[in-house]
Amino acid sequence: MEFSADFIRIAAYIGAGLSVGMASISAGVGEGYTAGHATYALMRQPKASDNLVRNMLVSQAVTETGAIFALVVSLLLIFGGFFTAEGGWYKVASLLAAGIAIGFGSIGPGFGSGYTGGQSLKSIGRMPKHSNAIMNNMLIGQALAQTDAIFALVISLLLLYSTPNQPSNVTAGTIIAISMAFLGSGIVIGLGTFGPGIAIGYVAGRTNDMIGRNPRQRGLLTRTMFLGAAVSESTAIYSLVIALLLIFAI
Amino acid sequence: MEQIARASALLGAGICMGLGALGPGVGEGFVAGKACEGIARSPENAGLLTRTMLIGQAVSESTGIYSLVISLLLIFAT
Repeated sequence: MEFSADFIRIAAYIGAGLSVGMASISAGVGEGYTAGHATYALMRQPKASDNLVRNMLVSQAVTETGAIFALVVSLLLIFGGFFTAEGGWYKVASLLAAGIAIGFGSIGPGFGSGYTGGQSLKSIGRMPKHSNAIMNNMLIGQALAQTDAIFALVISLLLLYSTPNQPSNVTAGTIIAISMAFLGSGIVIGLGTFGPGIAIGYVAGRTNDMIGRNPRQRGLLTRTMFLGAAVSESTAIYSLVIALLLIFAI
Repeated sequence: MEQIARASALLGAGICMGLGALGPGVGEGFVAGKACEGIARSPENAGLLTRTMLIGQAVSESTGIYSLVISLLLIFAT
């Protein structure tokens, strides 16, 4: 079959759909979890209502970032002007992979940040006096969880803009190998950030819950949170390394 | 070939809205559930709780709206 720019369009449209679709799953659940705990905390502490609603909105905004990254990538896929035949099969694979990378890569961080936000609001509902300390810790925890979404965004943008066009004098075998390397790099960062995102969010969520019960041990708890989050992050960094190797070293 | 590109845009629109509706649905349901639990325990704050519930649900809805926008773009702008 003769290659035409329509193959690139097919990959870009499916990638755009996958990207926003997958990313919306976790952001929606995470924000809902946060709002649910905020509402429940209001029942316990109606006087702290302003404080709780403000913290809820901040937490939801952070949880949303992964979905916004996915939205940006999918708009770039549709309107970024990639639909020219020079790209060849390399571009087909890399556009589809860009959608998969940010779509799957936003799932873990979305669940994780949402859990952190929910537990923090529960904790503020228990101890409104310590809301500043809990809030600071919540933002640190959510930032750690969102680093995984940022890894996915980096790989997604590299796949969009740094992959070469297909040269004219290569064999079919080379074309398949390189295309699969690009596709694999999207899959590896997408799935590789899934676990760490959820895990870091869980660590930060439990820490915030416990700060609400035992605020005096805040320093110890935050230190342990960093340690746990750093260990959980390691596999996301392995995935990032493999994704970069698949794009640049093949 | 042109037809297949069109078909893939429609397929992408379906995947996007279908998966995109999953999360907001679960999340908003959780908010409403917790709000009901709160109102049952403290009925005098029902107004405050309902207001917060609606604000929280509106924010959770945003990702569903992103999916809707991308689906409509894939259907009508391609």
